[in-house]
Amino acid sequence: MTTETKTRTEAVARSRSYADEPAVAAIAAARAPRPEAERQKIRVDGLNVFFGPQQALYDVDISFPEQQVVALIGPSGCGKTTLLRTLNRMTELVPRSRHEGDVRLDGASIFGPEVDVVDLRRKVGMVFQRPNPFPMSILDNVTFGPRRHGVRNRALLGEIAEQSLRSAALWDEVKDKLNQSALGLSGGQQQRLCIARALAVQPEVLLMDEPTSALDPISTGKVEDLVRQLAETYTLVLVTHSLPQAGRVADRVAFLLSGRVVEEGTAQAIFTRPKDARTEDYLTGRLG
Amino acid sequence: MTTHEAAEAARLRLRHAEAVGAASVRTRRARSARGYLVLGLATVAILAALFPLVDIIALVTVHGIAAMKLSLFTTVTSGVAGGLQNAILGTLVLVAGGMIIAGPLGVFTGIYLAEWAEPRVAAVLRYLSDVLVGVPSIVIGYFGFAVFVTGLGWGFSLAAGAIALATFMLPYIVRTTELALTKVPGELREGSLALGITRGRTIHSVSLPVAAPGILTGLLLALGIGLGETAPLIYTASWSNYDPHLVPTHSPVGYLTYVVWTFINQPFSASHELAYAAALLLLIGVLVLNLVARQLLVGRQAD
Amino acid sequence: MSGTRSDRLYRVGAGLVAGAVPLVLAAILVFILFDGLPAIRYMGVQFWTSISWNLGNEYGTALTVRNGVQAMQGASFGILPYILGTLLTSVVALVIAVPLGVGTALFLSEWAPARLRTFLSALVELLAGVPSVVYGLWGLAVVVPAVGASVAPWMAAHLGFIPFFAGSPGSGPGLLAAGVVLAIMVLPLIAATTRDAMIQTPQAQREAAYALGLTKWEAVSAVVLRGSRPAIVGASILGLGRALGETMAVLMVCGGAVNLLPGNLYGPVNTLAAVIASQLDSALTDSTQMAVHALAAVALTLFVISLIVNGLARLIVREEARA
Repeated sequence: MTTETKTRTEAVARSRSYADEPAVAAIAAARAPRPEAERQKIRVDGLNVFFGPQQALYDVDISFPEQQVVALIGPSGCGKTTLLRTLNRMTELVPRSRHEGDVRLDGASIFGPEVDVVDLRRKVGMVFQRPNPFPMSILDNVTFGPRRHGVRNRALLGEIAEQSLRSAALWDEVKDKLNQSALGLSGGQQQRLCIARALAVQPEVLLMDEPTSALDPISTGKVEDLVRQLAETYTLVLVTHSLPQAGRVADRVAFLLSGRVVEEGTAQAIFTRPKDARTEDYLTGRLG
Repeated sequence: MTTHEAAEAARLRLRHAEAVGAASVRTRRARSARGYLVLGLATVAILAALFPLVDIIALVTVHGIAAMKLSLFTTVTSGVAGGLQNAILGTLVLVAGGMIIAGPLGVFTGIYLAEWAEPRVAAVLRYLSDVLVGVPSIVIGYFGFAVFVTGLGWGFSLAAGAIALATFMLPYIVRTTELALTKVPGELREGSLALGITRGRTIHSVSLPVAAPGILTGLLLALGIGLGETAPLIYTASWSNYDPHLVPTHSPVGYLTYVVWTFINQPFSASHELAYAAALLLLIGVLVLNLVARQLLVGRQAD
Repeated sequence: MSGTRSDRLYRVGAGLVAGAVPLVLAAILVFILFDGLPAIRYMGVQFWTSISWNLGNEYGTALTVRNGVQAMQGASFGILPYILGTLLTSVVALVIAVPLGVGTALFLSEWAPARLRTFLSALVELLAGVPSVVYGLWGLAVVVPAVGASVAPWMAAHLGFIPFFAGSPGSGPGLLAAGVVLAIMVLPLIAATTRDAMIQTPQAQREAAYALGLTKWEAVSAVVLRGSRPAIVGASILGLGRALGETMAVLMVCGGAVNLLPGNLYGPVNTLAAVIASQLDSALTDSTQMAVHALAAVALTLFVISLIVNGLARLIVREEARA
């Protein structure tokens, strides 16, 4: 285990200074492969998404295994964010959006008539690109979700808050100032607060839309470590622009281009032996 | 983390997940109901807000049109009946007079605020202008009465009325002019100054043309305000059954809002008719000014 | 003329013109102060605490002299009823206008489809341009009869357990009618200001709320309402300021009470602004001019109250914005 960690740490350090393909591939290779997932947490079946007359996703078939990190990569505008946002039906907030095809969570369609969107979004949480804490205290931010969902017990709320903040690796930094405004935290801390806030409603899946693109390198590192840790418990889907990041944190990678999934597989496979020429072009920087 | 800690954490997580999940299911119906309730209340609110508007317009339009006849424009009031010619002309003359005074004063003050004044002076001036906006119209009316009608001995007059109206309109024009000028992008100004053009000429050839729609809108809105005011005029222009004599002093002037105020309280239906007709004319005037101002703003912004 | 010289002239010129605003403001204050002082000297503090407004025996020739100023015999000028009337009508107006205004703004910002929103917003803003006498006209024609015949009797009968709501329902003109008319006048201001603030709530905040699994109303209340609280408070106080100074519409529906304190919600009242407008004619018949001075003092009182309220509005808005 130690040798693997050391090789990985070296490879991580290298990848953080160069974004070159061999380094990325090296990390992916150095990571001990996770046990194959018991089941698919989310299954996307022939998904087409339209915004008015524009089509954003074409016939997307992809699965997200339980308790693994899947990274969605691809050039700007390729549809990775749209795919992410369809998973918790946030695309419905855009006027004139519609879809064809299906997305199944634990086997049941998320678009079914008996499905409660509110409940779905509790189970499938989301963290955004820019930290967006509410203008309230840190504690209020974290307990906001559980309280709205009906949890009244003060003690329980406190416990949930502590647990979520611990899971987000933020507890030690804020435990003495829980009643201070969340806006006083640094960018990296705010993002971890948003993660804690999302965890507080006890989701099963966590969707992350470029969660570190607005953060400094050190905070980025902390969040990435967090992602690896969270994968022990939650299923994560991560959209990222950074190939090294995908290499560092993802178990599986899907490459999207112009609204289609070009290739999908384990991180190791994608980075070392991409099957499609377009994937290879993107990985070597020749594309987008 | 040790295995013990990990197990403990897992147990906690399970408990929390169950608690939150259960609470969510339990409160779901109530949460939806609350949402519908609020939507209902908000809908009631906006209906309650719009109903008076519709009612006022309907009331004035129906009664006003019924009272409309050509003679209104050609006859003057006699006592509490007759026509509206004197009132219409009086309103036009008073508002025009007010605008002649307040327009240039307000626009140049706005220019000063936006282009010349130092920050602290500007802040004080802006504050004072806001205070002036807040002065009740009757206080301005009384001021006009005390200073011009009795103090300077002008008696009820066109000049006193126009000055009172101008005092009322002035701070609005200052505010809207300053706002329009501050919206002019700094780069345009800087570009002109960098070419060696004087500040003054920059204002007139660069800033003002760009800000013109906003300034004009402000002037039109002030016009609309002046059109609808009564209190500043009661004791400055007073009332007259004759067409305005176009002398600045010693001759009272009639105006439409006075008709609405006094004639509706008379026990004669002829008076009521005049009141509604006057109200209709006022509404039309305000509506037209509003629409033109809106068009100006929208039209120019589309460029 | 050199560039800087013409600029300097422009600056000085514009500065002089800009001096009109402070000059006028100062003039108003000074003249009203000096004009009102004799009445205040005559009555002392009782000017603001006494209830009776009496021009005295105008047909007699006897004069009283108090504190060096003379007035007709028996003259007494107390404006407490008008102060109370002003405050009460404004409070009633706000109680009605703030919930309606915030509700309207909420509807416009969160539920109205885009095209409906612009149309309805324009309609609401149009309300703001209606002259106050036309509001008064509508008040006389619609509100007063409605209040007198239906609303007040119903409220007195069913809500009589609340102290101020009991008693004689009156004949229509009065505190309630004036409050309703004022509310409608102030409503567009509150609705428009609040709506503007609500629309500006960052989309990121809304998304964060939805992503946590909140219903639409929960997301709105948590993010939009909370965020626009400073605007709501500020707009309400601005509305208060406007209501305090409103003259004509109130004058037409308030019942013109003199020498009596408002007893319940339905009885006739008078406000400082309305009293100036309605009493100047008779005040002019006072040969000692004391009645006119008294009205100037009323104007002064009204001016000071407006100043305080508007100043408070600015302070509170700044405090809320900082929070």
